[in-house]
Amino acid sequence: MSGSAHISDLAVTFPTGSSWAMVRTNFGIESFGVNAYIVDEAGKDVIGEHDELGEDSGRHEELYFVSNGHASFTVNGDEIDAPMGTFVFVRDPAAKRRAVAREPGTTVLVVGGRPSEAFTPSPWERNAEGLVHFGNEDYEQAVETYERLLAETPGNAGFLYNLACAESRLGRKAEALSHLREAIETDAQYAANAPADPDLEAIRDEPEFSAITGQAGTAGAGS
Amino acid sequence: MRHRKRCLQPHVSEKAYEVVHLDELDRFPVDDEGLLWRPVRRRLGITAFGTNAYTAEQGTERVVEEHSEEGGHEELYFVASGRATFVLGDEEVDAPAGTFIHAEPGTKRGAVATEPKTTILAIGAKPGVPHEISAWEEIFVAFGHYRNGDETKAREHLTAFVAANDDRWQGHYNLACLEALTKNRDEAIEELRRAIELDPAAKKYAANDSDFDWMRDDPEFPA
Repeated sequence: MSGSAHISDLAVTFPTGSSWAMVRTNFGIESFGVNAYIVDEAGKDVIGEHDELGEDSGRHEELYFVSNGHASFTVNGDEIDAPMGTFVFVRDPAAKRRAVAREPGTTVLVVGGRPSEAFTPSPWERNAEGLVHFGNEDYEQAVETYERLLAETPGNAGFLYNLACAESRLGRKAEALSHLREAIETDAQYAANAPADPDLEAIRDEPEFSAITGQAGTAGAGS
Repeated sequence: MRHRKRCLQPHVSEKAYEVVHLDELDRFPVDDEGLLWRPVRRRLGITAFGTNAYTAEQGTERVVEEHSEEGGHEELYFVASGRATFVLGDEEVDAPAGTFIHAEPGTKRGAVATEPKTTILAIGAKPGVPHEISAWEEIFVAFGHYRNGDETKAREHLTAFVAANDDRWQGHYNLACLEALTKNRDEAIEELRRAIELDPAAKKYAANDSDFDWMRDDPEFPA
């Protein structure tokens, strides 16, 4: 519906200190994807490394706009200095892209869509339903949400990964390791996320953890 | 000048990504209320959604033309810097930097800057269908050149647009406007006649278009 909101009112802050403003879902936008990402410290990823080819991605062309702070983008290995006011448009869904904040409060707006096709939301965006509970540290609700999403879409790697994160936060180590294994077996990109993910702190020292995550690849955020 | 939506074929680049800063975007004045158009989609070659920026240097100028997009685009505006007062339906919204305004198709929207150096980012597309690039972008470019004092570039741009879109009334109509503004009576009448042949509605628009005021009493004036 038509309406207005300030980015600070839309942003959900996670225990990592990173915030995500779910702009598209908040307004019910149907014709393009749009989200904003904010980090509290320099050196943190404001856009995690990813391409738009994974099963959870939208295969979108993506426009990034640095609306606050200063970021360093890397696209296909090229370094791009991106102070506030910079647009980075990644046309190729196969291009690896990442952005690191160079200042606290760096904010990147991401808009995406698939050329020549009517817009449909990226599958990963359904993760938003569960991720809001991470922001509130209500991990029981997060588990319930991902179990429901997995009942609707069995085997979805993104849902499995986030279920593992919520279970880890609740200290349910066996379930967390099992779901993490399933997520990585389905999509190897999650293996690279896991070692540095604070949500998985509780299971990181388990012998099974390194066996599960000993694969290459990355996952990230987008439009 | 009058613009109506129709689609253009996108030029698709082979480059994986493009980068541009707001300060590097073109600046095209497009109306008498100070609306300064900064084409983003056109500069970067985005094809999946429309993107433009509008800047008010003084802080009193219009930054979003008042319109409704009846049956057209839903639009998301983001106040990238400064501050503006938006009209959204029947409401007035004070929008400091960081504010999102979402307008569904058919909802009246418009904005005037209330602080110097206000820049608004506008993203739009039509729900449920693949994105089509709006023809008005090219017409805005032509009249932007004219308002920037470059009549030759304006005529070259519009003539090329008409040559590529000879069966569309909009190009002929706007070329007629340019010829009228530059006091080329014969060319203005010829182009206006052609526009009216293609769509009789052009006659109604011409009757109220101040670009033609000086030639309205001409016996050969077709509207």
